[in-house]
Amino acid sequence: MAFHNRDRKDFNAGVMYIGIGGFFAGFGLNYPMGTAVRMGPAYFPTVLGVILMVLGIILVFRSFGVTDAELPAKTHWRPLICILGACVLFGVLIGPAHAGMVAASMVMMLVGAFGGWDFRWKEQLIGMIVMPAVCVGIFYYGLGLPFQLFPWS
Amino acid sequence: MFSGVFDHLMLGFTVALSMQNLLYCFLGCFLGTVIGVLPGIGPVATIAMLLPITFNLPPIPALIMLAGIYYGASYGGSTTAILVNLPGESSSVVTCIDGYQMGRQGRAGPALAIAAMGSFFAGCVGTILIALFGPPLAELAFEFGAAEYFSMMVLGLVAAVVLASGSLIKAIGMIIVGLLGGIVGTDVNSGIARYSFGVSELSDGIGFVSVAMGMFGFGEIISNLGQTAETKSIEVSQVHTLMPTIDDIKTAIGPTVRGTLLGTIFGILPGSHTVIASFSSYTLEKKLAKDPSRFGKGAIEGVAGPESANNAAAQTSFIPLLTLGIPTGAVMALMVGAMTIQGIAPGPQVMTQKPDLFWGMIASMWIGNLMLVILNLPLIGMWVQFLKIPYRILFPSILLFIAIGAYSINNSEFDVYLAAFFGFFGYYAAKWGCEAAPMILGFVLGPLMEENLRRAMLISRGDPSVFFTRPISCGQLLVAFALLLMVVLPQFQKKREILAEADD
Repeated sequence: MAFHNRDRKDFNAGVMYIGIGGFFAGFGLNYPMGTAVRMGPAYFPTVLGVILMVLGIILVFRSFGVTDAELPAKTHWRPLICILGACVLFGVLIGPAHAGMVAASMVMMLVGAFGGWDFRWKEQLIGMIVMPAVCVGIFYYGLGLPFQLFPWS
Repeated sequence: MFSGVFDHLMLGFTVALSMQNLLYCFLGCFLGTVIGVLPGIGPVATIAMLLPITFNLPPIPALIMLAGIYYGASYGGSTTAILVNLPGESSSVVTCIDGYQMGRQGRAGPALAIAAMGSFFAGCVGTILIALFGPPLAELAFEFGAAEYFSMMVLGLVAAVVLASGSLIKAIGMIIVGLLGGIVGTDVNSGIARYSFGVSELSDGIGFVSVAMGMFGFGEIISNLGQTAETKSIEVSQVHTLMPTIDDIKTAIGPTVRGTLLGTIFGILPGSHTVIASFSSYTLEKKLAKDPSRFGKGAIEGVAGPESANNAAAQTSFIPLLTLGIPTGAVMALMVGAMTIQGIAPGPQVMTQKPDLFWGMIASMWIGNLMLVILNLPLIGMWVQFLKIPYRILFPSILLFIAIGAYSINNSEFDVYLAAFFGFFGYYAAKWGCEAAPMILGFVLGPLMEENLRRAMLISRGDPSVFFTRPISCGQLLVAFALLLMVVLPQFQKKREILAEADD
């Protein structure tokens, strides 16, 4: 049962399930359990959490000793960080920073675009102008959503 | 019974044919096709992305538009399958095989036309079937107590994973992750905010739109960008003429009818089986063909059958949703969420309490299908242009659209962060073979399942045997159990493996 001979996908998924199940079952202890007749708020999540942990344990055990399993695909850090970073940045700019939707959109598209394999300034600049305008048209004027468009508005 | 159906459909058409609803139906079909044609965005991501647009509409136009987006997206998927050999979604994988070959032989036009006509035929049949079987099924659903609802959901979830591809344990795990995520927030019975850790946004629960956007939208973008550039130059087949020959039509009639039949059956079963429907239709046509060797080299039957089948299945998958309130797949789960946001609890009461909504939606499905034929064939030149947009230009725009959509749900940046979080989670989960679709299904069903479980146990005074002593509930659980057993059978395993390969 060498540690290196394992199905990494199953192993990782199993650990994830144990973690999530444990989280829900564990924090469920803070809430009233109730009885089977009158289930409290903790009943359903605790039961499900335990089942999930059991599934996770099965996955982990099953993963040992598998030598011919395919490895999980490599993490693509660049798109992952750029895309999610752009998203968080958008949230910060439009929320606490009060930069308005137009600026937030432009920054987001720029940062997100760096996640691609083939960045071209001209195209992205055009996109950064056209798309926010389209979105303002659809969401602000078309749907009448109460967005703050600019920092000063 | 039949005169009743006629009255109902009349009511439906008066609703659907109002200027406003026609407009939203058109808008939905159009947007759905546009996004469906664009490479790299599946139907679930499309719907999640466009959902916020419908939130500010009244319920009827909103749902009509959403349904339009859904079948628009599936139509768009088959267009890309035929023209560039890229299935827009997994159910058009089969269409690629012979559709693209027809395109290579200069017959892309007839392939598109036959696909559109087959889908339209299937759509008509599907609409009639919903009108016929909707009311009696809803009658049956009125007999359902809490125990039956709970068992029904168990059956639905089990069926969804058993017939899907990939590891069963992982899929069940993802369902449970979804169920758990779905119940975060204030517990309706006790008023206690569960798992919200003092974050006020979380006490309202995690918005399913953010989850779907994150897991399907961001997740898809990141993994698309991960597959590096080499495959990205696209060769689009030329469309010379759209008209199929008389011979084409003659050979396509049989497959279309058989495909429609197969599709309807698979569509009603829980588990969203458009993929299985189109695969079975292809296999069936190949078996029935006088000369099976033509398949894979541009046989028109291989386009007509599967396309009709997946459209019929897409249409009839609305039946369990509209009559029982049970979503059968990720797309239908999003529809449930959309209905809830509109203040409509999906279930049999929709038909009696809001007949205009129910029948209007059904009538609009037929109209939408007609629109798609009109929209898709003459505008094919435009879709080809859309196909040529490089992904590097496309994805920042999709990104922005998702972020603004998420923000617009509550006008709060919290949903944007949530979408980012679930994008991260979904990306890694997918890497480890845990799919997002079962999770979304569980996510939407979580609160409903808990509610019905609690109610059933309260009524039975804590006796869990209630799920087995009530005949309907017992039957549902037995079927669910039988489905789980089936997976262990070796023959069935092989089928699952084939599907899994097709999904990749």
